[in-house]
Order: sequence, then structure tokens, then C-alpha cells
Amino acid sequence: MEGSAQVPANDEEELFDTGSLPCVSERAAAEEAAPTNGQVLLKMVNIHKWFGRVHALRGVNFTVHRGEVVGLCGDNGAGKSTLIKVASGYHTADEGQIFFEGREVKLRSPKDARALGIETVYQEQALCPHLSIARNIFMGREPTTLLGLIDQRTMNKESMEALASMGLRLRSPHALVSALSGGQRQGVAIARAIHFKAKLVILDEPTIALSVKEVREVLDFVRHLRDQGVAVVFITHTLHHVFSVADRIVVLAHGCNLVDVRTKDTDVDELSDIIARGTLGDAVPTTQHAR
Amino acid sequence: MQRRLGQGLWLSFISTPLVFIITFLIFWAFSPGHRFVDPRNLAAIAKLTPDLGVVALGIGVLMICGEFDLSIASVLPLCSFLFAQLLIAGVDPFAALALMVPVGASLGLLNGVLVTRTGLPSFIITLSMLLFWRGVLYVVSGLMPISILPYVPTNSDFAHFLTGQVGSVPAQLLWFLGIAVVLGIVLHLGRFGNWIYATGSNPDAARAMGIDTHLVKIVCYMIVGALCAFAGIMQATRLGSFTASQGIGFELKAVAAVVVGGVSLRGGVGNMLGIALGVFIIQIIDNGLILLQVPVFGVNTFIGLAVILFVIINNLANRQFAEQTT
Ligand SMILES: Nc1ncnc2c1ncn2[C@@H]1O[C@H](COP(=O)(O)OP(=O)(O)O)[C@@H](O)[C@H]1O
Ligand SMILES: [Mg+2]
Repeated sequence: MEGSAQVPANDEEELFDTGSLPCVSERAAAEEAAPTNGQVLLKMVNIHKWFGRVHALRGVNFTVHRGEVVGLCGDNGAGKSTLIKVASGYHTADEGQIFFEGREVKLRSPKDARALGIETVYQEQALCPHLSIARNIFMGREPTTLLGLIDQRTMNKESMEALASMGLRLRSPHALVSALSGGQRQGVAIARAIHFKAKLVILDEPTIALSVKEVREVLDFVRHLRDQGVAVVFITHTLHHVFSVADRIVVLAHGCNLVDVRTKDTDVDELSDIIARGTLGDAVPTTQHAR
Repeated sequence: MQRRLGQGLWLSFISTPLVFIITFLIFWAFSPGHRFVDPRNLAAIAKLTPDLGVVALGIGVLMICGEFDLSIASVLPLCSFLFAQLLIAGVDPFAALALMVPVGASLGLLNGVLVTRTGLPSFIITLSMLLFWRGVLYVVSGLMPISILPYVPTNSDFAHFLTGQVGSVPAQLLWFLGIAVVLGIVLHLGRFGNWIYATGSNPDAARAMGIDTHLVKIVCYMIVGALCAFAGIMQATRLGSFTASQGIGFELKAVAAVVVGGVSLRGGVGNMLGIALGVFIIQIIDNGLILLQVPVFGVNTFIGLAVILFVIINNLANRQFAEQTT
């Protein structure tokens, strides 16, 4: 922690100076991460990821407990999307271990992650705009009849049920996704996760480009998930959005852990300040409340 | 609510049939002596359309998954040439057909693998293959037609099988409709069809949901290749010979037909009924304009205008559909 004060503030310089170093000070912070009630669901340890010469994740630790809502924050390019893409099997880590429900797991594809109960709603359009709501919810997992054809009736019925369970009332399962509002699209993507009994739902920037009303809708979806005992990782760089729903907030900076704190032990101003500076600095003592 | 949804669906699926009927009525009314609806003329349309039509059905499916194939115009005559060579070598025509369909599919496989592996636009890859196979064909065939009549005479079983009549209906038309129905079932009722739409609509989302989009594209290319082989052989059987000019112009005509049938160039949009009717619309315009004594070279001008007009109509219908279902 003391070391972190010496990290140069200049982005360029920092990339070069610490690019190949592990995140020593931040790792210490992560190990003291504020635990929340409940068992550990997902535990990612010392995750590294390179894209060519870009060291996008430099030894990140990340833990999610059962039924917990975790806000994952940090500036653009901090590595949030990369981290969750590792957790959802879209990227494989170059180094590090992943544990799910206590067992070490290897996630080689999104299929592996989904089989465990990890569902991800990606920042880049998670849906196919030209397809109906029902066909989107069941995409890649279409139920079939005895003849091997798609069981459209089951698909329609169950997709409307999944949407209703989140308080989302849409006119018809046949409606095309291109005709939905941004909030409704997030709802459809989340309904997909609910229907397939996810234990952990990861939302990458679900509130980006949404109106105030739609943001509120999405936050309601997150509460619905939590009420059903589903853990949620909610990525955003708008702290206000995550503060009202998250139990815990994790901040990444330049591919390292920066902060891991219970929401009730901090406030928006303090965290915004840390994210803006990209280092803990003086804020360390107040945000580090291990247990 | 139900009613509005019904209307929207109705509009998106009916726009191409409507255009088809209107085109048909126009030529009926204005062709000299109503020659357009003369049974002989209709029979000629029914026999000629499937040559392009069978290939266009595959192109429609491929374009829904977001890719192009310009190489069809060379793959088709190449398969026809190889078919003729097999016959000359003494292979039974049915066996030769059964051999050539997988060969066509392999040529499609090559396209698919090149497109998905290189990540280059399929327009470029298949344009190269169009030129490549054309060149190969010219070298191996020397541009000389090869008569296949000695091996498949007009009254042979094989000729009846591909180009005969069932009652008064030409066999070609039945093949075309049969293939359209099979592909329609795959596209609209099967799981693979949903993956085709998903791949064309948003490949990132499709991949994230565990769909192997590369495999989907490769299979679609293989369907196109197999249909090229079939169409090439069907055409050669009708003509009684392989000719090097087979397939010329198909690469663009197929796109025109499919687009008129309501398929989007950007993928994810289209249906099998529209694709099948699109082919007929193009052929009817072609045939009808000639009956109206429009000079052959002027026909393309009208087809060009018609394509633009129909695409505008389809776009309006699709937008209406999207709005009315929410
Ligand atoms: N597919 C990729 N190829 C190359 N570099 C990437 C790729 N994905 C992310 N990066 C790089 O990794 C870093 C972290 O990106 P990302 O995880 O998207 O950040 P965030 O989601 O926090 O904004 C950035 O420097 C970004 O440019
Ligand atoms: Mg991101």
C-alpha cells in the first residue's frame, strides 16, 4: 500500500514502468478484501492476460459470494471487460486459477462457463436484433420436438414466463429485438440467464447509453436477480448506478486491483476520487476495512 | 394486440408475394396477345427458372448468415464439365450425379474455410475463386462444348429424373420446389436455421451463446456448392451438353433474385418463400420484357430498376413489421 503512493500518475509512464510487474500493493489490498456473508461462489486468483504486447490483466484477484451483487468499476481500459470475459470462458487467462463453488475449473469456452451456471450479458450487443425475443432467449439452446424441429410453443411460453419473473411485460414473444428499447433488451438478455438457472449473472455496462428511466428498470432487474438468490457482477463506470444495488464494489486500474470494499463502508465521492487518480493515495486508510 | 401483431407479420411475409402477383399481372395484361400466359411460355419459364433458382435458394440461405458467394458462376460449369467427363469415363449418370454433389459441396467447403480462416470479406475471396475456377475450366475444357446425349439421351431414365415431366409439370420445377421446402424447413423450423439467422444478425452474440458461427458459415457454403453441382448437371441434361457458358452471370443474378426476395445484404433478414419468389420475379421480368420486344440489352436496365424498387418495398415492409410487433 505504501508502494502504491509512488506509482506515477501519468498513464503512459505507468504502463511502461509497471507494465511487467505484478500488482504488488494492490494484491495486498485484494487479499484483505471485505468479505460478505455467504460462501464463495467464484474465486479468481492472480489472473494475467496479454493481448500481444498489451498486459491487460496483471495478476487480478476477484471473488464473488453466493447471492451477492458486486459492482466492478474502473476507468475505460482498466480491464473490467477482459476480466469478466475470462470468467465467462470467452478469453482464457494466460496465468492464474479460477475456482467455482470451491473446485478449480478450466473455462475453455462460453459453453464451459454456462454449464457451471455463469451467464454473461456482454457490453457489445448481447442479442440478435433481427430475431424474435423467444429465439434470442433460447439461442444456441433451442428446445426441440420429437421430429428434431424447434419447439416454438415451449419457447414462447417459457420466455414470457422468464420475462414476467423480472417484472417485464412485453407484448409478444414474437416481437423482434430491434423494436425493443435499450432497457427492454437488457431485460431480455437477463431473462435468458434466469431461465437457464444461472448462479452468477455478469452484466457488462448494462446501463451504458440508457435513459434515466431505463437505468432504473435495469437496476430493478438486478434486484429481481438478487431476490432469487442469483449472484450478480455489475460492471459500470457510472458509480451512481452501482451504488444503489451493489453489496460490494471492486475497482480495477490498469489491469490491477485497486479497491475492494463493502458499499456501506464507503461513498460515491471517495470512490470517484480514487478512480480518477488511479491510485489509492491518502484514501487507503478509510477504504481498507478488512472485516 | 393480437390483431396488430398479425398485421405486421402479414406485411413482412406478403410483400414479396404481392410483388410477384403484380409483376405477373402486368405482363399478362401488356404482353402482345397475352402471350405471357400462353401455356408454352409458362412451361418455358418453369423449365428455365430452376437453373438459376436452385443455386439462388442456397445463396439466399448463405446471405442470411451474412456471406456472399460469387464463385457459383464458375463452380456450376466446372461441376457440369466434371460430370460430362465422368460420363465419358463410363460412369453411370446417377452415380456421377451422386459423386458430383459432394464434389460441389467440397468446393463450397473450400470457400467457407478460406472465408472463415482469413477473415477477409467473402466478396473478395469468392471473387478470386470465381476467376480461379473460370481459368481452370477454360484450360481443361478448351471452351469446347461436350455433348452428353450419347450417355443420357432425352428419353433416358436419368433425363426423365432431372428434366422430365410429371403430368404437365416440368421435373425441374418440382426439384426447385422440393429443395425450397427442405431448405425452408431447415431455415425456419430447425435449430440450425436459428443459428444461421443469429450468425447473420449478430455473430458476436451468436458466438457468446455457444454457436460455432464459422461452422454455420462453412455449412452454408457447402449447401451452395452442392446446389451448384446439382443445377449444373440439371442444366447440362436439359441442354444435352456441357457448355463453357453455363452459369455466366449467375453470381449477380442470384444476388438480385435473393435481394428482390427480401434478403438483406447485411444478413439476418429474409425468408424462404420470398427467396423462391424472388427468383421467379427476376425470370418473369426477363421473359416478359422480351415478349414486349424490349431489346435484349435493354432488359438488364429494367431488371436493375426493378431490383432497386423491390428493395425499397421490402425495407418498408420490414420496418412496419418491427414496429407493429412491440
Ligand atoms: N481483444 C483485444 N485485443 C487487444 N487488446 C484488447 C482486447 N480487449 C481488450 N484489450 C485491451 O485490454 C485493455 C483492457 O480492456 P477492457 O478489458 O476492455 O477494459 P474495460 O472494459 O475496463 O474498459 C485495454 O488496453 C484494451 O485496449
Ligand atoms: Mg468494457
